[in-house]
Amino acid sequence: MLEVSDISKIYGTRTVVDRVSFSVPKGQILGFLGPNGAGKTTTMRIITGYVPPTSGTAKVAGFDVQEQPLEVKRRIGYLPEHPPLYPEMLVRPYLEFTARIRGVPRRQLKARTDRALERCGLQAVSGRLIGVLSKGYQQRVGLAQAILHEPDLLILDEPTVGLDPTQIREIRSLIKSFAGEHTVILSTHILAEVTMTCHRVMIINEGRIAAEDTLEALAARGGGGRVLVRFARPADGIAAALKALPGIASVETQDAQDGGLVVSQRPGQDAREEIAALAVGRGWGLLEMRPITRSLEEIFIDIIRGETVGGAAPEVQPSAAPAAPGNGGGAA
Amino acid sequence: MRNVLAIAGREVRTYFTSPLAYVVIGVFLLLSGYIFWASLVRFSELCLRFASNPYFSSQLNVNDMVVRPLFGTMGIIFLLLLPVVTMRLLAEERRAGTAELLFTSPVTSAQVVLGKYFGAACLLLVMIGVTLTYPILISNSGAAPDMKPTFVGYLGVLLMGLALLAIGLFFSSLTDNQVVAAVSAFGAFLMLWVIDWMSSSATVTLAALMNSLSLGLWEKAGLGTGGPTLGDLLGSLSIIGHLNDFRKGLLDAQHVIFYVSVIFMALFVTQRVLESRRWR
Repeated sequence: MLEVSDISKIYGTRTVVDRVSFSVPKGQILGFLGPNGAGKTTTMRIITGYVPPTSGTAKVAGFDVQEQPLEVKRRIGYLPEHPPLYPEMLVRPYLEFTARIRGVPRRQLKARTDRALERCGLQAVSGRLIGVLSKGYQQRVGLAQAILHEPDLLILDEPTVGLDPTQIREIRSLIKSFAGEHTVILSTHILAEVTMTCHRVMIINEGRIAAEDTLEALAARGGGGRVLVRFARPADGIAAALKALPGIASVETQDAQDGGLVVSQRPGQDAREEIAALAVGRGWGLLEMRPITRSLEEIFIDIIRGETVGGAAPEVQPSAAPAAPGNGGGAA
Repeated sequence: MRNVLAIAGREVRTYFTSPLAYVVIGVFLLLSGYIFWASLVRFSELCLRFASNPYFSSQLNVNDMVVRPLFGTMGIIFLLLLPVVTMRLLAEERRAGTAELLFTSPVTSAQVVLGKYFGAACLLLVMIGVTLTYPILISNSGAAPDMKPTFVGYLGVLLMGLALLAIGLFFSSLTDNQVVAAVSAFGAFLMLWVIDWMSSSATVTLAALMNSLSLGLWEKAGLGTGGPTLGDLLGSLSIIGHLNDFRKGLLDAQHVIFYVSVIFMALFVTQRVLESRRWR
């Protein structure tokens, strides 16, 4: 659906986007994650054709953004960082205007507007002046404007900024409902947003792609197949007994937690069942067993800090090194 | 065309939902109405004074004494008021971020320019249209103006207003600051007004000018010496100068062509400015 190859944007001497390439298949939700000023907005603006790239190409449904801008623009819905609203207009006329310039056929104008109003929960305010609406409602009007012509590709720049928690949840479920028929790219600097809505994550930092993966694979990077087990009656030699099990690479005692052991599994193997069986057989009294995963926050910060080129580098993390499962690009 | 109408329609709606249109139209009607009234009073006073003198009273003409000054006044008021009408057209879109909506929609920059222009032109039409009541008001009195030259005058004022709007739109495309857009448009309008003030003193011919610029090559190439002076050139650039014949009721193609080409040029350059975003 969307193919971005080798896009760069240079303002004077400042490289804002540096040879970014990625593609999004139809129906997926891609999360664009990065600190503020990482180049997320610029990349999105290039895809929409608002800003030309210094080099590289972006293609939407096979149409080049620079060569056939109108064809591309027909297929996208775009919610910029600041919703593009005319404060002096009423909500409904505003949406009808955007529908018109977005090329919605005259006969469908009313139906599409109604549908967008309904999907974004705007019926109650459809006759109000946009300028007097709260930030949350304005954001929803911006979203309604982006979805109203049922675009193939929906580009949302920080769609939940300035909303309260309930509204955020509504917007997220709304975005999720687009998956399947529409392709969605959304940018954010809030991790939870990605975890809740996206199929795939792209972490972008200082204009470069720092990592690109599915959520599970990204989360697995933090885990590295390590399991924490805790027993009620740990006997002597417990570590050696565990280590003897197939699929276990190493066992270390965790002094911080009483009776806790950190078991590292061999890549691609899951020995939890055997551990449980062994514990029951020996009567150690298994209290707890859980995989150790670092939160996405930690992974994110590691990736941003790591700042090494390409997607492979973040795997070489000291703690996860011994047993990192093969979760490179192939896992996606 | 549909896109152009959608943009123009939104523009008109914005003008008339904000106080701007009403203030501009109100000020325009107040000033032009006052001038109309003043010249009408003067005209009737002269009529009374020379009623007994058949020679003088035959010289008094309502078109010359009332309608003509009215159009001159309108032209001057346009110079001062129209920058306010055009300043927001594109500058505000950029400032408010709505340009991002406009330029990521499947509309061409030419459609945006035309839509904006037609929107502003609608406001101008309303401004001028309301003043049609002035000649109609007196058309049933003894001082009924001749309608044909009056309409020619209206055509001239309309064309000049449209030309000014196009220039103003151009300046609005250059900046995201409305005040900057208004001030530069205002400067350009004034310059186009006073540009012919030195036309009688700039007696150097264009040929001589070109000759000195090209270090004598012009003459050697035999491109001629006589011809129009620099003053003639400046004089024919005056935006108000071209209104004079219209005010007299003369419809001359050269003036129509002047205004139409100014409109076309300004809109074309504006479209290029918008388009330049795509390679900047």
